[in-house]
Amino acid sequence: MISSIRKKHRIIWLVLAILLPILFIAGIAFRHLEPVNESIPKRTLQKSSQKNQ
Amino acid sequence: MSEKYAAISWNRQKIIYDLILWSGVVGYLLLFIGLGAIFQPNVTIETLLIRGFGTCAILLLHIVLIIGPLCRLSPKFLPLLYNRRHLGVTTFFVGAIHGVFSIIQFHALGNVNPIVSILISNTRFSSIADFPFQILGLIALIILFLMAVTSHDFWLNNLTAPIWKLLHTLVYVAYALLIGHIVLGVLQAETSPILVISLGFGLISVIGLHLFAAFKESKTDEEFISTDEFVEACAVAEIPEKRACVRTISGERVAIFKYDGKISAVSNVCQHQNGPLGEGKIGDDGCITCPWHGFQYNPETGASPPPFTEKVPTFNVKIEDGKVFVRQIPNKAGTQVEPAKFE
Repeated sequence: MISSIRKKHRIIWLVLAILLPILFIAGIAFRHLEPVNESIPKRTLQKSSQKNQ
Repeated sequence: MSEKYAAISWNRQKIIYDLILWSGVVGYLLLFIGLGAIFQPNVTIETLLIRGFGTCAILLLHIVLIIGPLCRLSPKFLPLLYNRRHLGVTTFFVGAIHGVFSIIQFHALGNVNPIVSILISNTRFSSIADFPFQILGLIALIILFLMAVTSHDFWLNNLTAPIWKLLHTLVYVAYALLIGHIVLGVLQAETSPILVISLGFGLISVIGLHLFAAFKESKTDEEFISTDEFVEACAVAEIPEKRACVRTISGERVAIFKYDGKISAVSNVCQHQNGPLGEGKIGDDGCITCPWHGFQYNPETGASPPPFTEKVPTFNVKIEDGKVFVRQIPNKAGTQVEPAKFE
């Protein structure tokens, strides 16, 4: 029984070794640099960030 | 070993383990909140508590997950394994506090049930940056809850080992969900590299250690193939006194023990939680003791001493020219086998 459990363990960790780094990198790569409110026009956002600077 | 279904069989080692664990958790939280209050004075105490408990929980989960492969690589880490379930239950409680604070902070002040709010407030499953990460955390917490409540041997005995093991293998699903919860949650807004680097380091450590331990263990699974009834396992001189050497025979590992001028072979798998009997030793009482939780077996019969009833399969052995030969077909668990004698 233990050898089948060990084989399943290896498969699980091989899958995680592929999926988790992809998830990690994708999550960092596709994140918004700043929070975005889509209902505010872009011009207003730009003016606001210039004022804050 | 526990003869009765006691709530927890406290002993000195468990008390020390738990004191160190809880001191570590409290110390971490005080440090996190203290440093947070100093370096981020605009952050509210509720947010610091949510982040503190959340980071503590994921840190504990990483520690829980690396204990297994570390023990495969070196027996020095075995003391961490003995009471790993305490670590797991603590992880759940710390994570649950994080969850409760989060639900109160973000979902409890509306006119919708807070748990329903978690499930329906954000349905942007197609977006990475706006993914409903809260659901991932909720599912992971449910898994950790199920593991925590079934962590006692009472459930191991009543659910049976295969079902219990399957349930506790869900920790890997919980880990993946929590990585998603963090990456798609706090890391979407957190610009500090500390959290990214810490999580990346944790991920590399957990995955790397598991793969390395799997590679190392796979070498032990290389089997001696033979069509004979008995297969050559090892030399008598190779086995340390009162210890074993482990070989893979007919697809399963066999522990071959040497003691008092005799050789006996039993299954390497402890009936408690599949611990490696071959890494244990034979004590003064003449029993094989599992290095994980102390379960014992008579090397000649594979049976636990009374009043315990666990049994492991035994193997017929013979010695020829200083070499140990083991019969490929195991005997039924608890079968008495005359040990082979050597001079």
